[in-house]
Order: sequence, then C-alpha cells, then structure tokens
Amino acid sequence: MKGRRAPLSFLATLAAALALAWAFSGERFLDWAFTMPDLGPVDDVILAALVAAEEAKAAAGLPDLFGALRGALHRWTGLG
Amino acid sequence: MVFPTLQFVLFFALVLALDAAAGGRAQLRKAMLIAASYAFYAAWDARFLLLMAFVTAVAWGAGLALHHPRHGRRAKLVAIVLLIGTLAVFKYFNFFLLSLQQLLGEWGLARDWGWMRLILPVGISFYVFQAVSYVMDVARGQILPRRSPADVALYISFFPQLVAGPIVRAADFLPQIDRPLPVDAAMRAEAVALILAGLFKKMVVANYLAVGLVDPAFAFPGAQSGLTMAAAVLAYAVQIYCDFSGYSDIAIGLALLLGYRFARNFDQPYRATSLRGFWRRWHISLSSWIRDYLYIPLGGSRGGPLRQGAVLMATMTLAGLWHGAGWNFLIWGAAHGAGLWAERRLGGRPALPAPAAAALVLALVCLLWIPFRAPDLGTAAAAFAALLRTEASAPVALAPPLLALIAAGLAMNWLPLAWRRPAVGLLARAPSPVQAAVLAAGTLAAFAAAQEGVAPFIYFQF
Repeated sequence: MKGRRAPLSFLATLAAALALAWAFSGERFLDWAFTMPDLGPVDDVILAALVAAEEAKAAAGLPDLFGALRGALHRWTGLG
Repeated sequence: MVFPTLQFVLFFALVLALDAAAGGRAQLRKAMLIAASYAFYAAWDARFLLLMAFVTAVAWGAGLALHHPRHGRRAKLVAIVLLIGTLAVFKYFNFFLLSLQQLLGEWGLARDWGWMRLILPVGISFYVFQAVSYVMDVARGQILPRRSPADVALYISFFPQLVAGPIVRAADFLPQIDRPLPVDAAMRAEAVALILAGLFKKMVVANYLAVGLVDPAFAFPGAQSGLTMAAAVLAYAVQIYCDFSGYSDIAIGLALLLGYRFARNFDQPYRATSLRGFWRRWHISLSSWIRDYLYIPLGGSRGGPLRQGAVLMATMTLAGLWHGAGWNFLIWGAAHGAGLWAERRLGGRPALPAPAAAALVLALVCLLWIPFRAPDLGTAAAAFAALLRTEASAPVALAPPLLALIAAGLAMNWLPLAWRRPAVGLLARAPSPVQAAVLAAGTLAAFAAAQEGVAPFIYFQF
C-alpha cells in the first residue's frame, strides 16, 4: 500500500506552493473568499481568519509577484 | 466548481490530502471520494444531488434485478426508460413548453408558463450515460452487478469526470475501485503533463480565441468578410477542441493522481483523413458509447445500403439532438450522418493523398461547426454568407497573437505525439517534490496568462 498514495513529499510541496502563491498574490485569495457561497456557522470564522492573515501579510509588505508575472505575460504575448 | 479556479485548486488539494490519509482503507477511501464528489456537485446546485442519487439508485437496483429469471428483461426496460426519460425531461421539457406557449399565443390563448421552466442540471447527460452503460453491461453479462450501492455511487459521481466526461465504462472503472492502481512516479508525471496541457488548452487557447475572435464574429456575422469569418470558424474549431479536450486532459490527469486510469478521449481529431476517422478521434468516449448502445442496437452495418444509411442518419441525428433541441444541432448531426454515409458508399474513392484528405475533412468539419456554434439558423446562414463576401463593414481584427493561438491549436493536432515523451520521461525520473513544483509552477503560469474571470467549459451545457 505504500506506493499507492501520492508520497507525502509531493503533497507537502504542493501545500508549500499554495502557501507561497497566497503570500505573493496580493489580495486575490481574499477576493475569492468573498465570492464563495455562505458556509453557514463557519463562514464568519473562516473570513475572520483569512482577513487576519491578509492583514499580517500586508504588514509584512510582501509584493504581488503574481500580479507582476501576469502583467509581464500579458505584455509579452500581446494577450489579455 | 470549475477546474481552472482557485476554489477547485483548494478543493483538490484537500481531496488529495484526505486520500493520502485514508491510505489502504478501501471503504474509507471510497466513502471519502463519494462525499467529495457530492460536495463538488453541490457547489453548483445542491438540489440536484437528489437527482444524481436517484440515477444511482435506479442503476444499482436494476443491476441487482437484471438476473432475476422472470423480471430481468422488465427491470432493464424500466431502468432504461427511467434513465433516458429523466434525461429527456430535463433536456427537452423547456423546448416543448416554449413551443406550446408559442402555439397557444398564435391561437390567442397566450399563457405565461415561465415558472415551469426547468434548470438543466450540469453534467446530467454524462452521469446518465454512465448509468445506462452500467445497466447495459450488466444485462449483457460483461460485468457482474455490484451488491454495494457505494460502488455504483462512486462510479456515477466520481468528480473528475462527473460534469463533462470522459464517459467511463463500468467495465473499466469498477475493477479499479477494487484494485486502485499504485500511483507511482510515472503516473504522477503523466498526470502533471495532462493537467498542465489541459489548463493551457482551456485557459489560454480556448478562452482567448473565444473572446477575441469567435464570439464577436458570430455576434455580427453580417459585418464580416470571408477572410475574417473563415478565421473565426477555424478559431472555433480550435476553441472547441482545446476547451473540450483540455477538460478531458485535466479530468484524466486528476483521476490518475487518485489512482484511476481513464482512456484517452481525443486523439488529434483534426488530422483525420476521413469523417469516420474524425469520429474515431473526437470525444472517443461518447462516440463509442453511441456506437455500442445506439448504433449497433439500431442495426449497425447490417442490412442493405438503404437500411445502413437510415441507421447512420438516425444515430447521428440523435447525437446532434443530444446537444440540444434545435434545428442547428439537428442539421449538424444529420449532415455528419450524410457525410459518413456518402463516405461509406464511395468506399475511399477518389483516393487522395493523406494531407489533401486531412485538409478536406478539416474544411468539412469546420463548415459543419457553423450551425453548431451559431445560436440560431439565421446566424448560421449569415455566417455562411459571410464566407463568400470580400468586403466587411466592421471586421473583427485578426491580431497576430490570436492567429498564433490558432496555429498552436492546429499544431497540437498535427505534431507527432512522440515529442512529448522525452519531457514526460524526464519528469517521471524526477523526485516527487520536483514533480509537485512543476505542477504548481505550471498551474500558476496558466492562471497568470489567463483572462480575468471564469469561462465555463462549452460541454457543461450539454
């Protein structure tokens, strides 16, 4: 059974990549969270946690690298 | 929930983690995948979970009843009527309601029955077709009926291919529930390549061609010249290929990461040298479903030429009407049927060199995409007329990036598939964190290159 599952290192790298994407993508995750359907009792908890995390990110002054990549790709390809 | 969205990325990351946590506990893993699939479907409209459960119950119950010595045949008939009837009601009720309203209006008996209109549940055709496949395969003795409803529920609801295929046969899927494939480095590499190819096809090629060329040209075909309309039609051929095969690639890749292998759904269809070849390469899972459960039961290639032609026309017309109740889909299906029949009668004469035959088939397929893409017959006629015009009053700009995307879409059909193998082989030999990093970086690049907003896949509406 050991080989049947994706190795933990694969999952851990994906999780780290997701965290990095969040850290360097401006407020896109927050925008997305506000477009989600209401999750009932946990909705406020999730949003409050996300807002707190976003505030911490803003305080750290992390750049929006995703936005920069997006702008560069669109300029370079002539699309967008 | 659409694949190329942040919402789905987070959802799939969670599923992958839960799948790993479930480990070798098959029942737990099955329950988790069913729950994930139902949650995935509920993200569109939770009300239709009951419908999917109903379809599952019919297929499962029929499977158990089929081998009853006295009631087996009746069980099959009842199940097929229930399944196809359900599909027909959701797909065609609104059309008949509107037609009846118009008729009554002409007689001065106008009624507003807008409140009776039904919402078309996303992906209903695909899971109903899978349910039919289960019932028919059990009836034909190709598979044994499943005692556990969870097996049938997972087969019908498995989220990677739930809403737009590929239509997986029960005989292919159910054994994989019993013995899931070990996800090794080669499978992960194949999955990463498929997912990234699918994202590029959908988010870059299909979406930009739709917004930049196809949609504006089909919105005002009367303002286009022959050149711009021809480019728009070719762009639509590339768009629908990249949209649909992109979805299939992502679905097959996601399933691979979970340990399930599905057959390829597209095989470079625009390099086909005959219409028959095109249908063997386009939406292969639906084409083979139609062949096995409609064309062959109707008579297939048995009987004389007239009977064969009638069966072919009926099959292709029904396949056209499956896309929706409208003259444009009927014409599209019937024209393909007529083309296939003519091809069969000609028996390969005149023999053309392969490139010329492929170009001829591509031109024919593109022309037939016009009624398929046009919202109504008037627009289709205007698009055909535009092809013969040299002047344009307000042509859509043929920007070089869009022409490059058309060329890229055609290249995907014409380049030998072997060019991918070294890259996938290299990825297969890489450590799993590198594979994950490639998947993450490629996904990020596709999201960055894409337009703002979410464009649904074309085949969701069917």
